[in-house]
Amino acid sequence: MKRSTVFWWLERLALVLVCIIALFPIVWMFMTAFKSGRDAYDLSLFFKPTFDNFLTVFRPPWNLGSMLWNSIVVATLTVVIAVPAAALAAYAFSRFHFHAKKSMFFAVIATQFIPATVIVLPFFLMFRNLGLLDTRTALVVVNLAIVTPFVIWMIKGFIDAIPVDSEEAAMMDGASRLRVIRDIVLPMAAPGILTSAIFCFILTWNEFLFALILTRREALTLPVGLVSFRTERGDLWELMSAAGVMITVPIFIMAILIQKHFTRGMTAGAIK
Amino acid sequence: MSAVELKSVTKRYGDFLAISEQSLSIHDGEFLVLLGPSGCGKTTMMRMIAGLEEITGGDLLIAGERANDKPPKDRDIAMVFQNYGLYPHMTVADNIGYPLKLRGVSRANRTEMIEAVAQKVELTPYLKRRPAELSGGQRQRVALARAIIRRPKLFLMDEPLSNLDAKLRVTMRTEIKHLHHELKVTTVYVTHDQMEAMTLANRIAVLNKGVIVQLDTPEKIYSEPADLFVAEFIGSPSMNLIPGRIAGGVFEGQGVRIPGIDHAGRDDVVLGVRPEDLSLSPSGDAHISAPLYAVELTGESTLVTVRFEKTNICARGPADFRAEIDDTISMNARIDRLHLFDGASGKRLRR
Repeated sequence: MKRSTVFWWLERLALVLVCIIALFPIVWMFMTAFKSGRDAYDLSLFFKPTFDNFLTVFRPPWNLGSMLWNSIVVATLTVVIAVPAAALAAYAFSRFHFHAKKSMFFAVIATQFIPATVIVLPFFLMFRNLGLLDTRTALVVVNLAIVTPFVIWMIKGFIDAIPVDSEEAAMMDGASRLRVIRDIVLPMAAPGILTSAIFCFILTWNEFLFALILTRREALTLPVGLVSFRTERGDLWELMSAAGVMITVPIFIMAILIQKHFTRGMTAGAIK
Repeated sequence: MSAVELKSVTKRYGDFLAISEQSLSIHDGEFLVLLGPSGCGKTTMMRMIAGLEEITGGDLLIAGERANDKPPKDRDIAMVFQNYGLYPHMTVADNIGYPLKLRGVSRANRTEMIEAVAQKVELTPYLKRRPAELSGGQRQRVALARAIIRRPKLFLMDEPLSNLDAKLRVTMRTEIKHLHHELKVTTVYVTHDQMEAMTLANRIAVLNKGVIVQLDTPEKIYSEPADLFVAEFIGSPSMNLIPGRIAGGVFEGQGVRIPGIDHAGRDDVVLGVRPEDLSLSPSGDAHISAPLYAVELTGESTLVTVRFEKTNICARGPADFRAEIDDTISMNARIDRLHLFDGASGKRLRR
């Protein structure tokens, strides 16, 4: 066998190993979600699949339904507020010249450098004083604080890539600045903005620490709900897996959507 | 009344002075070309007229009205950009019709006008396509169509042909010239290509380092360049510039001796002579005699370059000119077409 062929096989082998290591827990979770409580501890790959777990988690005492609803509301509201605000901020950072622009942009990004664990307690005290503990409002506010700087930074990158020529042409054609943003910038940045929106949704959807500290019963989200399957009767793996599947599936779908949009170059053909 | 008037207009970027107190008045209906090398401020000047660049000092009047602080959309100017500035997410028809849409023209009227303009620039088969599916020349025509679909007070064209290949450039140049004749809208055109400037302009403003060095008709700029910069910039191949001195009506430079100069004697002058004003002479007794450096056939004529020390002198000779490199070539200059410049200031000397 030639050296290069050996190498080729070793490379494939390494790739397959990496894939197995990365995917195994996920596959195992999916399998466990369809197992009965008895089969959950069984390492066999063959079992009688059941949907019972998905029904059980929605019944008391687990009530995953309300958590799912909380997650959807919090993530959606965060996206709906963060993305338009961030898009406008990103446009300003990308196109306007103003005093201390660089330091302001740095300040926005710098908020991301502070570890969440450092600010979670101040947040707790703040929301307690405001009487907002255990509310979806609190979660939306916190998630906005986390996500918005990141989305500004992302969208700015997309807007930077749009040639200014098209915007200037639109202004010469008679469009106001806002009209330019609506007619030219937003459609051209749409794939980027959509990607950012999905990204923002995923971040909020998966957020755990703040949700754990700031909620107790009413505003629990799915990731926190997951913890409730660790009971005094032991860890209920099959239920936890079913809940886990429900958390991951929307993310999977969105990841696929993002991929589709990433490959689409909307700016092609604007200039030259 | 002039269509556009710049009064001591200045543009500063931080410490850098891009344009310093320049005045220029653009007549109604004329085709004015801003010509200069890159970085001379010509595009900046145009962008100030457009409103895309703030004016640091001075006044800009459009149709007699001060327009310094008017946003671009209210200036009623159409502009063609170097990179076309098309809207990639819109079809060709929507691109062309966008200025009308902004002015609230109804869809039906718009379609009619788009079709008329598309026909004029030969884009009819492409109206449903997007800019990405067009060639460079077609995109250029979309940009042009978008500008001419309305009748603005002023057209601005920022090196519109520089991204096209040589052949297409000449075709489009002719089309632009014809369009101007047809529409009669005042046009300001920026270019670094002296050929475009010569062929298109009613008047040319030659810029160098943020200063208008000469503003005149193409003929005058060609026949009476105001200084060495303009002399060298206009014309291809460039004017031959020979440093020397005048004494007793005779110009003397290295390897050059031209009698019959009607000018008071002075040291430190530069003599300029265009290649077509030099004729090849069979006799040895001529104004210039030097070894042949290169022969370039252009088709309709031959460019004959001789070299004396480090100075090249180029003459336009007949197409059938034949000689060997290093042969001694003699040339005579047309005395009435000579240009004299002051060696120190570079300014043209009156004859």
